[in-house]
Amino acid sequence: MTADFIVREWNAWAPGVSCHEDWRNWHDHQAFAQAEKAAIPITVPKILQRRLSPLARAVFNAAEGCIDSDKSLPIVFSSAHGEVNKSLEMLKSMQKGEEVSPTAFSLSVHNAISGLFSIAYGYHQEITVVAPGQDGIAPAFIEALGLLQEHRSEVLIVLYDEPLADFYPSLPFALNAPAICALALKVSLTGSGLPLRFCRTPAHRDDGEQALQILSFIKFLVADDKALVLGNHRHSWEWHKK
Amino acid sequence: MENELKQLIIDTLDLEDISVADIDSQAPLFNDGLGLDSIDALELGLAIRKKYNVKIDAEKEDVVKIFSSVSTLAEYIQAARG
Repeated sequence: MTADFIVREWNAWAPGVSCHEDWRNWHDHQAFAQAEKAAIPITVPKILQRRLSPLARAVFNAAEGCIDSDKSLPIVFSSAHGEVNKSLEMLKSMQKGEEVSPTAFSLSVHNAISGLFSIAYGYHQEITVVAPGQDGIAPAFIEALGLLQEHRSEVLIVLYDEPLADFYPSLPFALNAPAICALALKVSLTGSGLPLRFCRTPAHRDDGEQALQILSFIKFLVADDKALVLGNHRHSWEWHKK
Repeated sequence: MENELKQLIIDTLDLEDISVADIDSQAPLFNDGLGLDSIDALELGLAIRKKYNVKIDAEKEDVVKIFSSVSTLAEYIQAARG
C-alpha cells in the first residue's frame, strides 16, 4: 500500500510546547513543564468545562487550531490508552465498596473526549475513534486516507495520549507517554501544504506505541528529515516528504 | 433543606463558579435553568441516595417532575423520608 496525501495544517499541544516555533526548538529528552495544563478554549460552554480532563483540554487545544468555521471535516481521533487512568480510579473506588460515579464512567470510555468535542463545538460530522493498540499512529492515517478515498475533501486526524498511572507496569513495553500530548493534522489529497507519501515497509522496528510515536511524528514535521519510519514489532510504516 | 440540597448539587456536580445564592429554588435544574444534563441527573440521584438514603426509581417515579427544580426535589426527599 502506498498513498500520497498533503498535510494542510497541523497543531500540537504538550505541556510548555504548543506553537510551531516551540516545537522547532523542542528536542528529545527535553523535560516538559508537566504541571502546565492546556487552557480551555473559550468556545467551550461553561457547563461543559467542568467535564474536561487535562487530556481533553490538550485535545481541544490541538484540534481547535485545525477545524474550519463551517465544521465540515470528518475527524479521526486515535489514542492508545484514552482515559484509562479514569477507569483505574473507578476500579479503585469499587474495590473500596463505593458506588461508581455515572459522570466518571461516562468520561472514561474511549470515545469520551470525541463526544465532549462534538457537544462543545456543535460538531455533527462523522467522527471515528481508533484504539490502535500496539500499532502506533499508522491506523489513524489508514482510516483518514480511506475517508479521503471516499471523496471527503479533507479529514482531521487527532492523535493523543497521556502518561499511564504508575499502577500499570509499563516496562518492558514502550507504551508510556513522557507527558500529555495531542497532535491535530488536517489532511487532503490536493491543495497546498506538506506533501507526504505513506507506505508499508518491511523494516522491523521498535519505536514504541502511539504515545511515543506522536512525538516522533511532530519532530519529523518540523525537522529537515526526508523520511520517518515507525513500527512496533509488527507492521512498520514510512512517511516520506515528497 | 433547599439550601442543603443546593450545596449538594454544587459539590456533586463540580459547579465551581456557582454559589447557593445563585440557584433559584423554583428554576428548572435541567436544560434551560442551570443547564444540567442526564448524566448530572444520574450523579445527583446517586448523591441523594448516599446522603438521604432515598432512592429515586426511574421505572416507578415521574423523574422529570421530581428533578424539575430544587423545590420539587426537596419536597420529594422529605416525603420519601416520611
